[in-house]
Amino acid sequence: MNEDLVLQIKDLVVHYETEDADVHAVNGIDIEIAKKRTLGLVGETGAGKTTTALSILNLVPNPPGVIKQGEIWLDGENVLEMKPHELEHMRGNDVAMIFQDPMTALNPVMTVGDQIGESIMLHQGLDKKAAFEKAKEMLKMVGIAESRAYDYPHQFSGGMKQRVVIAIALACNPKLLIADEPTTALDVTIQAQVLELMKQLIREKEMSMLLITHDLGVVAEVCEDVAVVYAGRIVEKGTADDVFNHMRHPYTEGLFDSLPNLKQRGEELVPIQGLMPDPSDLPPGCAFAPRCPYATEACTKAVPALQSVEGSATHFVACTAYADPDFKLRRNRDGK
Amino acid sequence: MIKYILKRLVMLIPVILVTSFLIFWAMSLTGGDPALQIAGDKATPEQVEQIREELGLNDPFLVRYAKYMAGMVTGDMGQSYVTKRDVFKTFMERLPNTLMLGGAAVLIAVLVSLPLGIYTAIHQNTWKDTAGMIFALFGTSMPNFWLGLMLIIIFSLTLGWLPSGGKTGFASLILPAVTVGFGLAALITRTTRSSMLDVLRQDYMTTARAKGCSEKRVIYTHGLKNALIPIITAIGLQMSLVITGSVLAETVFSWPGIGRLVYDSISKRDTPMVTGSIILCSVLMCIINLVVDLIYAFFDPRIKAQYSKKG
Repeated sequence: MNEDLVLQIKDLVVHYETEDADVHAVNGIDIEIAKKRTLGLVGETGAGKTTTALSILNLVPNPPGVIKQGEIWLDGENVLEMKPHELEHMRGNDVAMIFQDPMTALNPVMTVGDQIGESIMLHQGLDKKAAFEKAKEMLKMVGIAESRAYDYPHQFSGGMKQRVVIAIALACNPKLLIADEPTTALDVTIQAQVLELMKQLIREKEMSMLLITHDLGVVAEVCEDVAVVYAGRIVEKGTADDVFNHMRHPYTEGLFDSLPNLKQRGEELVPIQGLMPDPSDLPPGCAFAPRCPYATEACTKAVPALQSVEGSATHFVACTAYADPDFKLRRNRDGK
Repeated sequence: MIKYILKRLVMLIPVILVTSFLIFWAMSLTGGDPALQIAGDKATPEQVEQIREELGLNDPFLVRYAKYMAGMVTGDMGQSYVTKRDVFKTFMERLPNTLMLGGAAVLIAVLVSLPLGIYTAIHQNTWKDTAGMIFALFGTSMPNFWLGLMLIIIFSLTLGWLPSGGKTGFASLILPAVTVGFGLAALITRTTRSSMLDVLRQDYMTTARAKGCSEKRVIYTHGLKNALIPIITAIGLQMSLVITGSVLAETVFSWPGIGRLVYDSISKRDTPMVTGSIILCSVLMCIINLVVDLIYAFFDPRIKAQYSKKG
């Protein structure tokens, strides 16, 4: 494993096996996150983002979730081969996670101080009282008065709860923070505050982050690297500049087309046609082909592999259309 | 919180008024003349009439009720027709026995059902779960008087290990407590399992795991405390059955508790004893419900906050 990488996922495949169907949630994802870098994992609901994130902590609910194959390397150790006590040591200490919905992510019958203190107690060997004192410091760090450590989650607003969740995640200075749609459940005004706070803390603590979102605005705001996921596969990845300004995949283009644009008010939004395929019944070849305006017959023949864009070391795309050297996305025509 | 408790205690007054009226009314409708029974077979009509006059049985219904309630305010709930003893005193003498039996039954039930409920929830849809649920189904569907009789046959008659009835120390408590506790355990097991299954799916359980909590800690520290509210509700609801419904078990095991007292009094048409016992039972139930509600507040801060708000 590369020394500078905090996380390296190789060819991860996760299925949810139920009596009725075999749901192919993640179908061979490769991700690398370097030190102090933030990777945005972008995709629609059901694309396999959260499953990928839970796999990193080996927390995919089993049953029905089964990690079929792949390697997840953290600090030279494969998470998928860790024993239970090694996993417990890693979770919260090396890798921490922020969940989507702060309303349900906190235990309603425990004070927030105890909830933050718990991970400090577990990983730093402090007793309950000392951990609680440290928890108060963590609260202060996320902008909540220390005196509120004695309060219960129902006494906090949504934005405050998410701050508490962040405090829990950062309590033990993890090397990698996984944030699963951390702002989706919040009001727009609160979203900006929480994002700003996360950005600032990550910089201060020199952490790496995997940010999962469907919100391209959030990605532009926070991430240095971007990976676009579709139906459990990465279809395009690169630096934020690569993906935002030199996008190559038709799906990425579709995502941007469906964003409202302030400069061109009144122009109709262009949604991506159709729906994401049923992950228990994926089409052969490129999963996006049925919805892709550029699709040809070749697209349904084989799953395209990620290939470097014009020899770039950072930018990769998985699209059959580039077999034709003259192919360009609509956005990239007109001399762009 | 104290204000809340006081408020609940004040609410006991209308409950007592309504239950006592209903019971008094029902007893007046049952027919049969207690005076005849007291006077015996050889009494002359004059003697019977005299007894009726003494007991106030000739007064109109509402007058009798008013007199009864007036007595109750001063703690006088009348005398038993049969034993001539004070009703309140007799009830209070029997109460500890029923509480002891009920307490032991609940203790047995909780000790069996909490671990079993959690265990079956964790192993949902495996053979372990199925085995546990079969046990629970067995427990809920078995009539407890029958279970009581079977236990007597096995442990008293055949093996001779335990007494078959009466109250003769600790050994005599075991069979009746198991009898009452078994059905209870089955019900609490099912409630614990479903409550735990619900909690296991909650996001905060994933948060706890992601923090690095061991599976044991996740379940017992984070899960159980959240799962307890429905479990306590189930136990609280069952307490009414344990206290007042132990008539069967107390009869089978000749256990000198309230259930048996009421049963005997009804068969002897001992109106003051029946009326008094049932009123006192309803008061007891109200108090138990209050205690259950207070236990909620202890486990769930959200409920506690509600109590203080409503004051």
